[in-house]
Amino acid sequence: MVLVLALGDLHVPHRAADLPPKFKSMLVPGKIQHIICTGNLCIKEIHDYLKTICPDLHIVRGEFDEDARYPENKTLTIGQFKLGLCHGHQVIPWGDLDSLAMLQRQLDVDILVTGHTHQFTAYKHEGGVVINPGSATGAYSSINQDVNPSFVLMDIDGLRVVVYVYELIDGEVKVDKIDFKKTSTSNSAP
Amino acid sequence: MAKKGIPEWLNSSLWSTTSSPSPVVDDRPLRHPPAATTVAPSPPIVERPPLSPSPSAISTSPSPPLPVRPPFKSEINDLQNGSGKDGPGTETPAAEDISRKTQVVAELSKKVIDLKELRKIASQGLPDDAGIRSLVWKLLLGYLSPDRSMWSSELAKKRSQYKQFKEELLMNPSEVTRKIDKSKGGDSNDPKMESPRVLSRSEITHEDHPLSLGTTSLWNNFFKDTEVLEQIERDVMRTHPDMHFFSGDSAVAKSNQDALKNVLTIFAKLNPGIRYVQGMNEILAPIFYIFKNDSDKGNAAYAESDAFFCFVELMSGFRDNFCQQLDNSVVGIRYTMTRLSMLLKHHDEELWRHLEVTTKINPQFYAFRWITLLLTQEFNFVESLHIWDTLLSDPEGPQETLLRICCAMLILVRRRLLAGDFTSNLKLLQNYPPTNISHMLYVADKLRSK
Repeated sequence: MVLVLALGDLHVPHRAADLPPKFKSMLVPGKIQHIICTGNLCIKEIHDYLKTICPDLHIVRGEFDEDARYPENKTLTIGQFKLGLCHGHQVIPWGDLDSLAMLQRQLDVDILVTGHTHQFTAYKHEGGVVINPGSATGAYSSINQDVNPSFVLMDIDGLRVVVYVYELIDGEVKVDKIDFKKTSTSNSAP
Repeated sequence: MAKKGIPEWLNSSLWSTTSSPSPVVDDRPLRHPPAATTVAPSPPIVERPPLSPSPSAISTSPSPPLPVRPPFKSEINDLQNGSGKDGPGTETPAAEDISRKTQVVAELSKKVIDLKELRKIASQGLPDDAGIRSLVWKLLLGYLSPDRSMWSSELAKKRSQYKQFKEELLMNPSEVTRKIDKSKGGDSNDPKMESPRVLSRSEITHEDHPLSLGTTSLWNNFFKDTEVLEQIERDVMRTHPDMHFFSGDSAVAKSNQDALKNVLTIFAKLNPGIRYVQGMNEILAPIFYIFKNDSDKGNAAYAESDAFFCFVELMSGFRDNFCQQLDNSVVGIRYTMTRLSMLLKHHDEELWRHLEVTTKINPQFYAFRWITLLLTQEFNFVESLHIWDTLLSDPEGPQETLLRICCAMLILVRRRLLAGDFTSNLKLLQNYPPTNISHMLYVADKLRSK
């Protein structure tokens, strides 16, 4: 039962001041085992804040990140799942499923987490899942001005992952749940 | 002049611990080589001439029901064998053991076991082998009824109840949600398999989610419990680090530790008033050890469930010791320690005065651990098993017996205590010297209120 927090595109301090207080009250240390961040934090203070929630933090570089040392892509294995992480501004067209699928095959992962569009989406294809946690602060993006803050919490339990989507709609936190089961034959290794 | 308030039989050097062997050893050459039965004790008591009637007091007192079991120092053995054992004085300890074992086995093989009789036999100590102790403890703690025919049904019922507890209480929230989903409707992921690039179905749920802060939330309660679980885990790791059964890297040790953890966790969850307190692991350890090492493999497999219920039974008498709010109340630990002081004062006023008034040793400093942990920490594992035989079998109840044994422990080292000051006495009582357990239990027995 591993809890993985996926979030990103906070754009603090340029486009947003901080995470919504309702989100902050829920993100207490001690519950989450890993954090994966799609990038665009942008400053070190946010990095430190995320570190207090969970010491195991993985970040990839977004185009506005002030720390240039973050990698472009990252892959990690948690339980039975391979997760891939990329900010998404490198994948053109932005947010296009086919291109993201290409990246997924390239990284050879079960779950690909990308951001940049500031819009929550979850696609399933070919036994893999592409998740976009959206923007945790609700910062505006190049394509979209009206953004609901959102982030994603994944509960990885054996071959099954339950994705909890937290969205702040009209000042209220709404939680959705998505179930995904990995079929054991799904990853073909050439 | 006999010292005031101390029964004469108590004042013999026989009862002092053997940490000061020199007076005993030096006296031996004074004795005639063939130690006559009633003459033998007198040379050691030569230091106190007025007490010469004591040897006769010893020989007329009922011969100690407890034979000299693995005697700690052979001198004591000789002394005792030389003194008041009237009839069976020539029986070797091994023979006594065998006769007791046959007694126990005979009692246990009856169809309906007489608990009173069993208690009497058990209070003298149980043999270590053939799973006898496991069976007797289960009977004494009320886990098994005296009627043999009821055993299989009772055991089945209790064991399945424990299994149910485990399933309910030890599952983490992911497994719970998985179970609920499975029961709600099967795996509906598959129908959508063929059409790619379709948004995965998302269900709106106002139920539980991992970050929920609600009081009824499964997840929130799970995280709140992790604190208790961590404490339990830490204590289980520290239980008896010298024993391979409990600690080390072997698979056996790990599975035993897991079993201990499960029992303590379920107990903590079922008793929200008292939860888990440090020390409960020490009380559980001997019970689990005995049941797991039962020669009957069927019983040993269910050691965890049996140990759980017996632990609950034992704790029901002692739980007030662990409840912090009750510390100052009539049933709390402070009052129990006061009772120990009163008991000591009643039986040995001089020692009591020296300890409490002169050297100002508060019973809290030593007796707290003695009482709450049921003496498991003061003696080695095997000895504490013997003490527990007596504790569990005494008809007066474990709490009373425990106080008497503690009082006996104090009286046995009275010489050293009387000679010592605060520091040395405290050191002595907090690291109680090795002693002959049979002695101690005999003395405790004699302290029974008339």
